[in-house]
Amino acid sequence: MSDPLIFGILLTLLLSLLAGGVWVALALFTMAFVAITAFSTAPAGLVLATTIWGHSHSWPLAALPLFIFMGEILLRSRLSQDMFSGLAPWLGRAPGGLLHVNILGCAIFAAVSGSSAATAATIGRMTVPELKRRGYPQDLVLGTLAGSATLGLLIPPSIILIVYGVATEQSIARLFVAGVLPGIMLVALFAGYVAVRAWMNPALIPREDARPTLGEKLRASRRLLPVMALICGVIGSIYTGVASPTDAAAIGVVLSVALALAMGGFGRAQFTDALMAATRTSCMIAFILLGAAFLSIAMGFTGIPRNLAAWIGTFDLSPYALLAVLTVFFVVLGCFLDGISVVVLTTSIILPMVEAVGIDPLWFGIYLVLVVEMSQITPPVGFNLFVIQGLTGINILRVARAALPFFLLLMLGALLITIFPAIVTWLPNAMGN
Amino acid sequence: MLRALDLLYKAAGAIAALSILGISLLVTAQVSLNILARIGGPELSYTIPSYADFAGYFLATATFMALAYTLRAGGHIRVNLVVQVMPPRARWVFEVLALSLGTAVAGCATWFSVGLIRESIAFGDMSYGIVAIPLWMPQTSMVTGLGLLTVALLHTLAEALIAGQPILKDAGSE
Repeated sequence: MSDPLIFGILLTLLLSLLAGGVWVALALFTMAFVAITAFSTAPAGLVLATTIWGHSHSWPLAALPLFIFMGEILLRSRLSQDMFSGLAPWLGRAPGGLLHVNILGCAIFAAVSGSSAATAATIGRMTVPELKRRGYPQDLVLGTLAGSATLGLLIPPSIILIVYGVATEQSIARLFVAGVLPGIMLVALFAGYVAVRAWMNPALIPREDARPTLGEKLRASRRLLPVMALICGVIGSIYTGVASPTDAAAIGVVLSVALALAMGGFGRAQFTDALMAATRTSCMIAFILLGAAFLSIAMGFTGIPRNLAAWIGTFDLSPYALLAVLTVFFVVLGCFLDGISVVVLTTSIILPMVEAVGIDPLWFGIYLVLVVEMSQITPPVGFNLFVIQGLTGINILRVARAALPFFLLLMLGALLITIFPAIVTWLPNAMGN
Repeated sequence: MLRALDLLYKAAGAIAALSILGISLLVTAQVSLNILARIGGPELSYTIPSYADFAGYFLATATFMALAYTLRAGGHIRVNLVVQVMPPRARWVFEVLALSLGTAVAGCATWFSVGLIRESIAFGDMSYGIVAIPLWMPQTSMVTGLGLLTVALLHTLAEALIAGQPILKDAGSE
């Protein structure tokens, strides 16, 4: 049998398992087991045991539960309630008005939580009723929310970048730093789009009459500032090399507990809740990563990724052509799978191909996350769409239509980092090496 | 008996949660020592022996011990899109198939990890680093956790067979 055919069979097997409702991690284990027993001579059991043990206790991966824990703590603090009142006084008179609260609120919260569904749910719960009451157009309210919530995947500390980094043995610190500028670029694109819409049709946006003084503004956002300081501290300490991501995450946990306690409304019950939620999420992701690690090794024994890369090489594709093909593939895959599963599948099978045409794996990580972000707001399985449907009761297809301009903006973002890769690589290259 | 099993999964989940707290405290302690060294100069520089190794073992414990608890809480993700639109009977059949396959895979993984730990004991494998501990000690969490996951999958399978419908409610997944 030829390798592309074997690969096709294995991929079909995996997709049928997934569609049949087998848990993602267990489906990966099954596919790996079939691949290694049927198409290689390696001892499957021994490889399974040594791989999952070897990948379960790495130091970089220890950042994963800690960043999730930090997000869960801040999620249960008063931060989310204060996001609207803290940002609104600053943004009321910007073109597009309080719609920017959605964008910036999501960006800040995304940095904290690293999960886009949680970001959409938390920010949307406060901003959607408030913006509706003030007469903002529904399409833009839903669109900014759906689009900006995807920033959770990119803006550090990002859970999905930890997953990519661990699975590809890239430095998580460099990945985090690489995500900063593209994240800011996307925020600027979203905000710019809202401003242009407001400028083209001034009647669209209700006027905000309040003109708070600087003192009032600062007082309104006094509880946001420490959280922003915490985030900047975490990213800054990683950037300057003072702390590894795991170190920074541990300090982040301690400081966010202190912050949550100081804000009030956070007690033992919330702490336990946050800890148990973090335990479950971290276990779920780590289990998928173990399945993906076993799949990578198993596929390595079969030689399929290597041969597939060579096979793709015979087509003489330019990196751009390969990226275009892969992007379509990811967006389709992302319609049915969650972001983390798309990333681990990519890293275990497609990465050799990508490296073979000379694409920088660090840059590719950011690109992949951007594409996964797009898939979060495409029907039928865009998680953000589901969350917003659940939140507002508005039909998912209408939400998807409202999110379409932001999907296109994400695509523009992906195009921009392809044409100007320095947006991704400049900061990590400037890091103290 | 079955109630006792659910308590067992929860107890293992609690151990996992404590391990995450353990990582937080251990790493925070080391970072505080780093800060102390930076302020006080080299004579105040201390390192918790093998702290990175121990953080890793805590992580492994957190992951493996939480497997069964996370399963029962609906925390492991899967694709519901196709199954959701099926008639209840077909949905149940797929649930039973998924649980059977899951039990088999988890059972295999448990079996082979027992093999690994037996080798670690037989060869007297020790961890690298300043504080060398026998490897079978942290590996116990892998065997226990995978074993518990197998039991939990089998338990859920039995419940689904008796009830004639899917048991697990998937938590809002991402």
